[in-house]
Amino acid sequence: MLPSPEYLAIKATHASATPFSPIVPTSLLPIIAFLLLTSTFGLGFYFTTLPKATVPIHEAGVAGLASILAGFGVVALFCTVGVYV
Amino acid sequence: MFAQAVVLGLLPSFARYALALNVPASFENTAVVRQVDLGGTLSSATTTYTFRALADGAQEYVVTLSKDEGDKTSWFVPKLKGSDVELPAAQGFDAADQVYYYKIALPTPLKRDETETLNVATLFSHASTPWPPTAAQKDPVRLNFEADMLLISPYETLSQRTKIRTPTPNVGAFSDPSPPSIYAKDAQATKSGSTVTYGPFASVPPSLSDEFRKEHQRRISVKYETSSAVASIISLHRAAEISHWGANLNIQDDIHLKNGGPTLKGHFSRVEHQHTTYYTQQAPPSTLWWMTLQLPPGIHSPYFIDQNGNVSTSRFRPSPSVPQDQSPFLNPKALDGLKPGTRASKFSTLEIRPRYPVVGGWNYTFRLGWDAPLNDWASYDRKSGKHIVAVPFLNTFKDVAVNDAELKIILPEGAIDVEVFPPFPVDSVEHSTHVTFLDTVGRPAVTLKKRQVTDKHDGIVYVSYAVPFSAHLKKPLAVSVATVGLFIFAFVARRIDPRIHTTAASK
Repeated sequence: MLPSPEYLAIKATHASATPFSPIVPTSLLPIIAFLLLTSTFGLGFYFTTLPKATVPIHEAGVAGLASILAGFGVVALFCTVGVYV
Repeated sequence: MFAQAVVLGLLPSFARYALALNVPASFENTAVVRQVDLGGTLSSATTTYTFRALADGAQEYVVTLSKDEGDKTSWFVPKLKGSDVELPAAQGFDAADQVYYYKIALPTPLKRDETETLNVATLFSHASTPWPPTAAQKDPVRLNFEADMLLISPYETLSQRTKIRTPTPNVGAFSDPSPPSIYAKDAQATKSGSTVTYGPFASVPPSLSDEFRKEHQRRISVKYETSSAVASIISLHRAAEISHWGANLNIQDDIHLKNGGPTLKGHFSRVEHQHTTYYTQQAPPSTLWWMTLQLPPGIHSPYFIDQNGNVSTSRFRPSPSVPQDQSPFLNPKALDGLKPGTRASKFSTLEIRPRYPVVGGWNYTFRLGWDAPLNDWASYDRKSGKHIVAVPFLNTFKDVAVNDAELKIILPEGAIDVEVFPPFPVDSVEHSTHVTFLDTVGRPAVTLKKRQVTDKHDGIVYVSYAVPFSAHLKKPLAVSVATVGLFIFAFVARRIDPRIHTTAASK
């Protein structure tokens, strides 16, 4: 039942390494979720008011920006409500 | 190895015994004492081997267990008397002699006639069976423990005895095999208080061979009463999910609990149960009621659910998070020198009560889960660029045997270079893919399985993995792509005119 030398080595490495810290601090996630998702909602509404142009650069730009904000906002929202994705 | 097996298979049976486990006669046991402490599903035994070296340089001592005993042994720790250091033991099974053997390497070789004492601590799973098989709700819980009378050893034993201690002084019948063994000097079986002693047996020769066991080995049984309910866990499946975005470790246990005492005779009387628990605030020994779990500090949001939904009969007392080196789960020495109050503050406590009282023979399946901050369990090694996470193998219910334990560690999406380090040998390690919320390709998962697990198997499994930064962006990208799809649909929908046009009727 003795642990193997590899086990003792990884245990020592784990103890000496720095504790995990996320890219974005978890305490900021609720605020980020709120800001990003309200921006997405606002941009989505703005998208619907845009004139219908033949070369839709403005529409594509707004849609792209809103999507990126939605992506990060939804991930932050999931983590805020307890579904840790 | 292969050639040896082929030759063994071709030989006639008598010659095969000659080639079986060959232990050099380098020791002589002066005294072997086994102290068995009986419990419910787990019984512990401490065997003390006092031996004398017969030759210079003897360093390997072999402990043997019969097949029946070895099958039930789920924990084996040899230590020298007075030392706290566990000795390495190479385990094996000899099919010819039908014995389990453990080759223990002593730290220093012994000189001729030098003596040494070895303490071997073992745990038996399900060594006791309910006796009688059925009992009424208010009856005491009685179990029957069966074992072999003589301890087998490859060396000559000058004196050996077995002491069986029961948890309560109510000892039922204990067997006294007749005719008494030729090795028994005085009375073969004696009872004193709650201890039944078999022996002492004098001058037992090396007892590995089948012929010796057929002639001299006897089966003994002790019927005893327990003071608390006998809990048995049929299966415990744990899933540990790691999230880097949420910096969270979620642990979820699916537990199949069974009352391992005698099966209930007659119907379950709710009135009788309420009557007993109202006045004494404790359930009778036939019933599993409140159970206490010691969980790690810093956890939050526990949930206790079963097939019907949430089970509200639970009490959670959280404890604040502590640094990794102070956590008793990661550092076994973290509790040394602490006062009992401080010691208790390093654990969170969860008391749970099943939806219905689990009486003899009844089962209850439920799910238990909690969240823990990932910085308490994982660390990042800058040199190798890998994350190392420590996952507790299982949550031990005190003195409860687990028949089938499984741990599935679900790593973040895109984790590569996955290496698993279990604290003890497990039956199997499998890699698979687990798909859950916001996943595209799925997450790598590692499943460790082990049978016959005790409450001492609460070790930590270390997993090291690397996650490239681009893997972190997969989730927001997946949601963004879905949202872009929504905008494309809106883009097209804006340009479609769904109105029904009435053409100007020009007649």
